[in-house]
Amino acid sequence: MLALIYFIILAVLAVGSALCVLLSRHPLYGALSLVLSMLSLAGIYGLLGSPFIGVVQVMVYAGAIMMLLTFVIMVLNGARDSKTPMFDGVSLFVIPGVIVLAALVGFVLVRTPMAIDETTLRGSVALTSRTLFDVAQTGPGYFVLFEILGLLLLSSMAAAVLLAKKRLGSVDSDDKEEK
Amino acid sequence: MALEAIYVQVLALILFSIGLIVAIARRNVFFVLMGVEIALNAVNLSFVGFAKTLPADLSIAGQIVPLFSIAIAAAEACVGLAMVILIFRNRESVDADTYSNMKG
Repeated sequence: MLALIYFIILAVLAVGSALCVLLSRHPLYGALSLVLSMLSLAGIYGLLGSPFIGVVQVMVYAGAIMMLLTFVIMVLNGARDSKTPMFDGVSLFVIPGVIVLAALVGFVLVRTPMAIDETTLRGSVALTSRTLFDVAQTGPGYFVLFEILGLLLLSSMAAAVLLAKKRLGSVDSDDKEEK
Repeated sequence: MALEAIYVQVLALILFSIGLIVAIARRNVFFVLMGVEIALNAVNLSFVGFAKTLPADLSIAGQIVPLFSIAIAAAEACVGLAMVILIFRNRESVDADTYSNMKG
């Protein structure tokens, strides 16, 4: 019962702040509502019994990703052209389309029998690390995925640096800098 | 009344729909990125919610995969924001409809 009350509070917070992202005009307000949405989702992970994912959600999503997004919004001063309309004619078709899609999927979901299993394992740090770094030959092999993920993050960081840096060698950029 | 698995899935569905609407309907490119993040979050929540409906050992996979998808989201946000910086420097606009260089 208490779990349900906590879940409803966190769910209302998550959906409400996601709606704030949809309806806010300034990107910075949108980013801050998104942080609130992610924090309440982290609470829901803890409530469901996966505290490690909740902590990773707080650190990586609400911490790192949103910090990056807020930083870029502030650096670029993204609210500068506030004359851009929030929605356009396409939205008139997109919003009913997505709502119909959600209604169809929701219908299937509600008709599907499912219940929280009693014997389900709690995704604690010990269990997660034991499974993730199980290097036995008969193990699940998540550690290979983990290594590949390190390479992916490294390459994405290199790509981001290459994309966003000024073209140092070219004459054009030097000219623009001086103006 | 207790916490049912279906409530989690319905919440994930609502969040995914909101994220999809934000990503497709908003014109500001920052909101497009934020919409993608909301949708990814909803998928992670759905993963964990379904993992909790499985018995003992089967429920581990659904609690490991979201970690990978969070890391992928970090990589995606990193590259996406770098592209936004690059485009913004050339165009001086955050309106996604003005990025029409590659229009067919």
